[in-house]
Amino acid sequence: MKIKKGWYILFTAPLMIIFAIIELIPFVTGIGYSFVKWNGLGKSPKTFVGLQNYARIFSDKLFLSSLLRTTIFTLITVVIVNILALLFAIIVTSRLKTRNVARAMIFMPYLIGGLILGYIWNYVLGEGMSSLASLTGMDNLFFNWLVDKKFAFYALIVVTTWQLAGYMMIIYIAGFQAISDDVIEAAAVDGANGIQTLFYVKLPLIMPSITICLFMTLSNCFKMYDVNVSLTGGGPNNATQLVAMNIFNEIFTKSNFGYGQAKAVILFFIIAVITLLQVRLTKSKEVTL
Amino acid sequence: MKKKKVLSLVMTLAVGASILAGCGSSSTADSSASSEATAAATSADDTASQNTTEAASDSATSSGDQKITIFQNKTEIYDQMVAMAKDYEAETGVAVDVWQISGDDYYQNLKTYLSSESGPTIFTVESDTEIAELKDYMSPLTDLSFIDKENDSLLAKNDDGTVIGIPTTAEGFGLVYNKDLYDPSKISSIDDLVSYIETEKDSGVEGVGLSQEAYFLIGHILNTPFALQDDPDAFCQKVYDGEVNIADVDEFQQLGKLFEAIRANETNPLEVTYDTNVGNFATGKTATIHQGNWCYSMFADYDVSFDMGIAALPIDGNDKIAVSRPAVWAVNSDATEEEQQLGKDFLNWLYTSETGTDYLMNKFGFVPVIEGMTADNLDPLSQTVSDAITSGNILPWTFNTSWPAGIVTTYLAPTTEEFFSNPDMTADDYLRALNDNFVQAASE
Repeated sequence: MKIKKGWYILFTAPLMIIFAIIELIPFVTGIGYSFVKWNGLGKSPKTFVGLQNYARIFSDKLFLSSLLRTTIFTLITVVIVNILALLFAIIVTSRLKTRNVARAMIFMPYLIGGLILGYIWNYVLGEGMSSLASLTGMDNLFFNWLVDKKFAFYALIVVTTWQLAGYMMIIYIAGFQAISDDVIEAAAVDGANGIQTLFYVKLPLIMPSITICLFMTLSNCFKMYDVNVSLTGGGPNNATQLVAMNIFNEIFTKSNFGYGQAKAVILFFIIAVITLLQVRLTKSKEVTL
Repeated sequence: MKKKKVLSLVMTLAVGASILAGCGSSSTADSSASSEATAAATSADDTASQNTTEAASDSATSSGDQKITIFQNKTEIYDQMVAMAKDYEAETGVAVDVWQISGDDYYQNLKTYLSSESGPTIFTVESDTEIAELKDYMSPLTDLSFIDKENDSLLAKNDDGTVIGIPTTAEGFGLVYNKDLYDPSKISSIDDLVSYIETEKDSGVEGVGLSQEAYFLIGHILNTPFALQDDPDAFCQKVYDGEVNIADVDEFQQLGKLFEAIRANETNPLEVTYDTNVGNFATGKTATIHQGNWCYSMFADYDVSFDMGIAALPIDGNDKIAVSRPAVWAVNSDATEEEQQLGKDFLNWLYTSETGTDYLMNKFGFVPVIEGMTADNLDPLSQTVSDAITSGNILPWTFNTSWPAGIVTTYLAPTTEEFFSNPDMTADDYLRALNDNFVQAASE
C-alpha cells in the first residue's frame, strides 16, 4: 500500500510541477498584479492601488463592448460549430464511399493553426474579394468583407467555424463509434427509422462527447485571439475586437500591466462560471446503459 | 524485479535532473550540482548525462568568450546586420549575435526581453515615450568617442541630462511624389491638392495614396497640423486639457478637407496595404504617396523609370517635410560592466571605422547624423532628407515627442477606419472624434 502511494507521487509529480510553474503560479501572481499600477518593466515602480483597477473596468466602454461582442460571437459560433460538427460526424460515419477523404479534409483546417488560417482568409476575403469584384463587375456580390463592420464580424465567425468544426467532428466520431451495434440493432428491430434512432438512441448516448465539445468550443471562443489578430486585427474601428485582444493591447500596447491583468482576472471568472454551469447542465443529461 | 524498479527510479531522477540543469545553466553553482547528480546516474541513462554535460559546457564557453547581442527595430536591414556581425567578429574577435523580431511589434518583444532580465546588449528605442519608460535600462553613453559630433537635438537624454541614446539615422516623410506627374511648385495649398486629386482622377491616376497601416493611414499625416503650431508641446497640452478642440483649428480642418477628398475620389485606403501602396506608386498609378525615405528600398523590386522626391504636405502653405530620428541606439544597463563596454566599443566601431560607416551609409542606407560624416550614394529620397537636415527646413515628429503612448494604434487608427468606412461621417465629426481620442488617451 505504501509503495503504491510512492508510485502515485512519482508519476504525477512531474506534471504537477510543470502545471504549477506554467499555470498555477502565474495565475496567483497575476491576481496580485491586478492590484497595482505598473507598466510591466522590472525596474519601473509598482504602486499599490487596491481595487481601483477593477473599478475602472466598469467605465471602460471599449472593454465592455468587446466583452459583449465576445459573448455574442461565442454564442453564435458554439451553436454553428457543434451543429456542423455533428452533421459532419454523421455523414462520415455513414456508408459514404469518400468518408476517409472527407474526414481528412474536414479535419485539415485545424492542423493549419489559427494564425495562418487567419492570414489566408484575410487574403481571400480582402484582396481576393476585391479582385473578384473588379473582374466580374458584381460589386454587390463580391466586396472586401474586412472593411465592413458587420461582415468583418461574420468573417470572424466563418473562419473560427472553419477551424474548429473539424476537430469537434473527430470527438463526435469517437462518440458515435463507441455506441455498440447491439443497441442500434435493437432499435431497428423495434421499428425505429434513421431519424428516430439518431434522436432517441444515438444522441443521448453521445452526451459525454457533447459535454466535451461544448466545453472546448465555449472556452476556445471566449479566449479567441489568434484568428482575431490575423484576420481583422480588431478593425475596422474596433468593431471586431474580442476581449482577449483588448486585454493584450491594454498590457502590451498601452503598457497598463496592472489594469490589463485586472481585466484578465474578470475574464477568467466569467469563463469559469459559464463553463462550469454548462458542464453541470450537460452532465446531468448524460445517460448510462 | 526490485532491481528493475530501482533502475527506472534512477533513470527518472536523471531525466528530471537534466531538465533542472537546463533551467539553471546560467548559474554555475546550479549546473555543477546537477552534473554531479547526473554523473552518479550515468550508468543508468546515457542520454540524460549527455544533455547535462552539454548544458554545463555551454555556460562555461559563454562566460569565457566575448560576445554581444543586438536587437533592433528595422527588419529590412536584418540581413545586412548579420553580414556586418560577421565582419565585426573577423576584425575584432568579438562575436555579435543579431536577434530577429518575432511577430510584428518590436517594442513588445523588447519589453519582454528586458523585464525577464534576458535583454540584448544593444537595442534600439523609438519614441520619446518609450525612452522615458526604458530609461532605467539605458546606460550612459557620454564616453563614446564621437559623442561631441552628434547633433544635440537628436540625442536621447535621461532626466538629469545624461546622454543615454544616440540616433541610428534620420528619416523624413511627406508626399513622396513622381516628378512626371506631380509638380510641388504648382501646389501650395490643400485646395490646390484637392483640385489636383479631382483632375488626376479623370486621367485614371490617384492623386494621394494612403495605406491601411496605422502610421501610414493617420499617424504620420496627422503630425503635420500639430507640428505647424507655434509650440506643438503646449498645443498638445491644451488639447489634453480640453482648452482647444482640434476641430476648431484651421490646420486640422484643412487636413479634414483633404481626407474627404481622398474618401470621395480614391480607393479606400483600408483596402490598400503598404506593399500595394508602394507598388501603385512605382508603376505610376498613384502620383504621390504619404510615405518617407524608408520606402525607397521597396522600389528595388520594380523597374522605376521616373524621378522622385519628397514634397511637403501643403497645409497652410507648408513647405517643410517632417524629419527626425526614428530610433536611438542604447546599451543595456542590466548587462555586466564588461559586456556594456563591448557594446560601446561596437558603437564606436560602427560610427567611426571605415567598415562600420560603409555599412551604415551604403548597406543600411542610413542618412548621416554625425558632423563631418558624408554619404555619396544616398538614394534620391534620403538625399532630400539629408538636404533638409542641412538647411534646417524641417518639422518635428510630434507623435514621438508629445502624443500619449500607443495612441496611434489603439485610438487614432480605429477612428480613421470609421471615417473611411462610413460615408456619413463628416470631416468635422471625424476631427471631433480624434480630439476625444487625444483627451481620452492622455487621461490614461
